[in-house]
Order: sequence, then structure tokens, then C-alpha cells
Amino acid sequence: MASVPEQADFDNSLRLYTYRRMVETGRAPAVATAAKEMGSNEAAVRAAYARLSESHAFMLTESGELWRLAPFSAVPTAFPVESSGRTYYANCIWDALGIPAMLGQDATIPTSCACCNLEMSLQVEAGSLLPHEGLIHVGVSARRWYEDVVFT
Amino acid sequence: MDRWCRQWNRERGGIFSLQQGWDLARLWYADRLSPKWRPFNAQEAQAIFAQVGLTSDFWSLG
Repeated sequence: MASVPEQADFDNSLRLYTYRRMVETGRAPAVATAAKEMGSNEAAVRAAYARLSESHAFMLTESGELWRLAPFSAVPTAFPVESSGRTYYANCIWDALGIPAMLGQDATIPTSCACCNLEMSLQVEAGSLLPHEGLIHVGVSARRWYEDVVFT
Repeated sequence: MDRWCRQWNRERGGIFSLQQGWDLARLWYADRLSPKWRPFNAQEAQAIFAQVGLTSDFWSLG
């Protein structure tokens, strides 16, 4: 059995590997792929993803595959982010803005207004969000965000 | 915003500008690819909200 420091090192290596795969390919790796490419096994990867999910930075589907690796969504959503020739997805506008913030890259966020459904395309250029009319509404108070993340 | 909340039978939540959202996103996510990243504790998260002006009870993690 791995010691706690060894486990923490593995978790961090897996976390960085997973983000790198997401950034490079636009897709989250499957557990089987991560296990193979990390030179590990599926049980160890599943256990590590479960530990990484305790902080809600990662979240898993019922089958144990990645659903969210914040700020990325592992599945397509209404918040696409186009950057460096790839399309990523986020679970909300905060996370969508988090992708260019994390990558340090220009990005276009071709989303729509939740109020009227009109196109609302946001641009991040050279580390700044270009001015655009609009507001962000968070419907669930901060202390309750993780009671139901999908609704939040 | 009030019209939308009435239309969808939702309570008015926390509202902030796109610029605040960008500032929040940078503070929250800019170091996520660092090998030294670790999750924020509640106190650190609260301080980030305050840095971008989100200080009402809606943003309280306590």
C-alpha cells in the first residue's frame, strides 16, 4: 500500500497529467487511458480521482469517469470556449472565463444570454476581457453550491 | 434580472459584472496548472470573493 506522501505525489501527478491531456486534446482522458499512460492501473486511478474530487476541483460521473475538472467540463455544455484552435467546454460562465485565465491565452466564449437567448460572444485578449454588456447571475448562495452542482 | 427571476420562478441570487467575473476567474484559476496548486480553504476563498467586491451574505461560506 502506498504511503500518504506517495499517494499525494501520485494524485498531483495524475491531476497535472489530466489537465495536460485536456489542454492538448480538448478531451478529458478516460480512466483506462489515464491508467495506461500513467503506468498505473484503473483501480489506483479511480481512487485518486475520488480523492481529487473531495475538493470539488474534479467531479466524477456515476461510472467513475471525469465529468468536470474545473474549470473544464468533460462533456459539451452551453459554455464553449474557443482558444488556440481548440474548443473546450465549461459548466458556467465563471468557469468559461476561468479557461483563458488558466491557460493565459486569448479566447472567444460564444455563449448566449440566459435571459433572452441572444448571442453573447465574449472575447479575452492579451489578458483582458473586452468590454461587453451583460451581468452574471449566480442563483445559489455560496455555502450551498456543492449540494447540487448541476443545478448550481 | 428581476423579470427573468419572475419568469423562471427563481429567487434573485448574486449578481456581478462581467469584469468582476473575469477578475474572479483569474484569481480562482490562474495557478491551476501549477504543480504546487492546492484547493483554497474557506477563508482563502472568502478573501478572493472580497477582493472582487463580493461581500454580501450571499457569498458567505461560513
